[in-house]
Amino acid sequence: MGKNDYIGAGIFIALGVFIWAVSFQFPVLPGGHPGPSLFPRILGTLFIFFSLIVILEGSRKSKTPPAPPAEVDEGGNVTLIGEENYFNAVLVIILIAAFIALAPHLGFIITGGAVLFILMWKLHVKPLKSLIISAVVMCMIYSVFSKGLRVPLPHGFLWW
Amino acid sequence: MEALFHGILMLFSLKTFFVIVACSFYGLFVGSIPGLSATLAASLLVPFTFFMDPLPALCSIVSMSAMAIFAGDIPAALIRIPGTPSSAAYTQDSFALTQQGKSQLVLGTDILFSAVGGLMGAAVLMTSAPLLANVAMKFSTFEYFWLAALGLSATVMVSAGSQAKGAIAMCLGLFLSTIGVDITLGYPRFTFGNVALLTGVSFIPAMIGVFGISEVMRNVSQRRMDFAITKVKTRGIFAGVGHLFKKYQWNMWRSGFIGIIIGILPGAGADIAAWIAYAASKRASKEKELYGKGSIEAIVDAGTANNACLAGDWVPALVFGIPGDSITAVVIGVIFMKGLRPGPMIFEQHPEIIYGVYFAFILANLLMVPFGWLAVKVSSQMLRVPKNILVPIILMFAITGAFAINNDEFDIITLGVLGIVGYFMERNDYPVAPIVLGLVLGPILEHNFMMSMIKTDWNLLLFFTRPISALLGICTVAMWLFPFLMVFLEKTKDKKNGLKKNGLA
Repeated sequence: MGKNDYIGAGIFIALGVFIWAVSFQFPVLPGGHPGPSLFPRILGTLFIFFSLIVILEGSRKSKTPPAPPAEVDEGGNVTLIGEENYFNAVLVIILIAAFIALAPHLGFIITGGAVLFILMWKLHVKPLKSLIISAVVMCMIYSVFSKGLRVPLPHGFLWW
Repeated sequence: MEALFHGILMLFSLKTFFVIVACSFYGLFVGSIPGLSATLAASLLVPFTFFMDPLPALCSIVSMSAMAIFAGDIPAALIRIPGTPSSAAYTQDSFALTQQGKSQLVLGTDILFSAVGGLMGAAVLMTSAPLLANVAMKFSTFEYFWLAALGLSATVMVSAGSQAKGAIAMCLGLFLSTIGVDITLGYPRFTFGNVALLTGVSFIPAMIGVFGISEVMRNVSQRRMDFAITKVKTRGIFAGVGHLFKKYQWNMWRSGFIGIIIGILPGAGADIAAWIAYAASKRASKEKELYGKGSIEAIVDAGTANNACLAGDWVPALVFGIPGDSITAVVIGVIFMKGLRPGPMIFEQHPEIIYGVYFAFILANLLMVPFGWLAVKVSSQMLRVPKNILVPIILMFAITGAFAINNDEFDIITLGVLGIVGYFMERNDYPVAPIVLGLVLGPILEHNFMMSMIKTDWNLLLFFTRPISALLGICTVAMWLFPFLMVFLEKTKDKKNGLKKNGLA
């Protein structure tokens, strides 16, 4: 149990309070019985209750040392390096946001191809290889979804 | 009888058979890549099922999941990393035997016992589901409410790590299910004027986000992942397995039974079945000292249980509309997407689909033998597929798949947001499967609760007056009280021990 647990529990307590606050705007059923607000309020209460338990568990348990970043077996066959490069995780979200913003203007193939290329390049795939794979994969996905399954994928100024 | 033949005919139509074969290979591929789970494979498959008829859509998930759960055993044996969480229980034993030069025996055992486990599960699904469906015909809103509550409680109880965190994840899923127009007065809740949210959080993009995007984010944030791969000769791979069938016959039946029961229990999946079967096997074994150091008995037990569990998971999903695990949560989403309603009525209205699903389980488990052999043969090539190329492609399929369901960019936003939530929750030891189960069961829970309350004029006691409802209610409440009882018992024990130490007792 570390600092993150307290932050997480704090976020969920805030969510519980927020749900309660918003639920006051909901109408009631005839006869004064709770209607649309009942379930959200139960959930809001449960968020607060279980978050407090998480905090309580955290304060009871001693801090455990962090897991080693690498795990190597006796024969040296397996090398696993733990999660370290958080920027790449953020990059995935940036790329999804960029896709939403740009796909209607640039079209599915160009935007998707750029997303694939940037991510592969960031994951140390050689630029030329990334470019070729991105182009081939995007043409394949476009054929499957747009031509095969008739999904109206966004087409930009080039009508792709 | 007519429905039975119709179901078999539909299953063996060229289109459905092609779907089964294609999805089998897809399952084998995804299952054998460490870090990619069967649930991720199922969620990425959903956009394709959108364009299929109901039976091939369901068969695609049946064959994919059966193969993926088996294929998880391949990297477990060859590189000591389970391909899916279901193989984690016996990874150490599989790899230890591989190091002793017995990789052929391990993988041959994995293939055949997985297939047998799957067939046992299919037999129970075929016999128990129609019987339970008859019972479920008598269910009213009270019973459905308690079933949903029981399923959610079981999900929290079996979640790894802190149960409080599991409960928070479940609450998050339930909260997401409240977004949109309310069922009692049609009032829009938590939409904040956003028209796209009026119909609620779209289930498929949410699911791809929670399972798919979070896995993509986790994979890209790993700096390096290298492993040396042991090559396996497939000639004579099944030699010696026949002897194991004779020697461990009782183990096979016991583990199949454990797997099926765990599967039928809402919320618990193949990974838990494997761990429980492993523990039961160790307790009953005459060679306990081999467990963890290379026990073929452990592989027989856990390998049979995880595949038997798969069909068991379908029992509550088909009969009650309550998912047995995260894969069947996807299945329920697919059934709704096809305009059908899981529950006892599907057995009366669409028996041909139900028969088709039964035989799809049998077919998938029979195909597991030749396809599994093939997967082992090309395993060294499959494990060499570079993840830095594969993961970006998965991201692109996830984005396109989320968009394809409603042709709506808002679904990609849902995908991204739920992906971030899933990633951060997993990083902080919150299980993510309860989010999806909460999202699926939330409407069932709220709808049946509100209906019951309105028809009983808000008399809560009536939830305990019908016999089955009372039984389910007592089970659920007992499950809620269990963790508190355990804390109380532990404290009492500590107190007694303390008194004994001080010589006061």
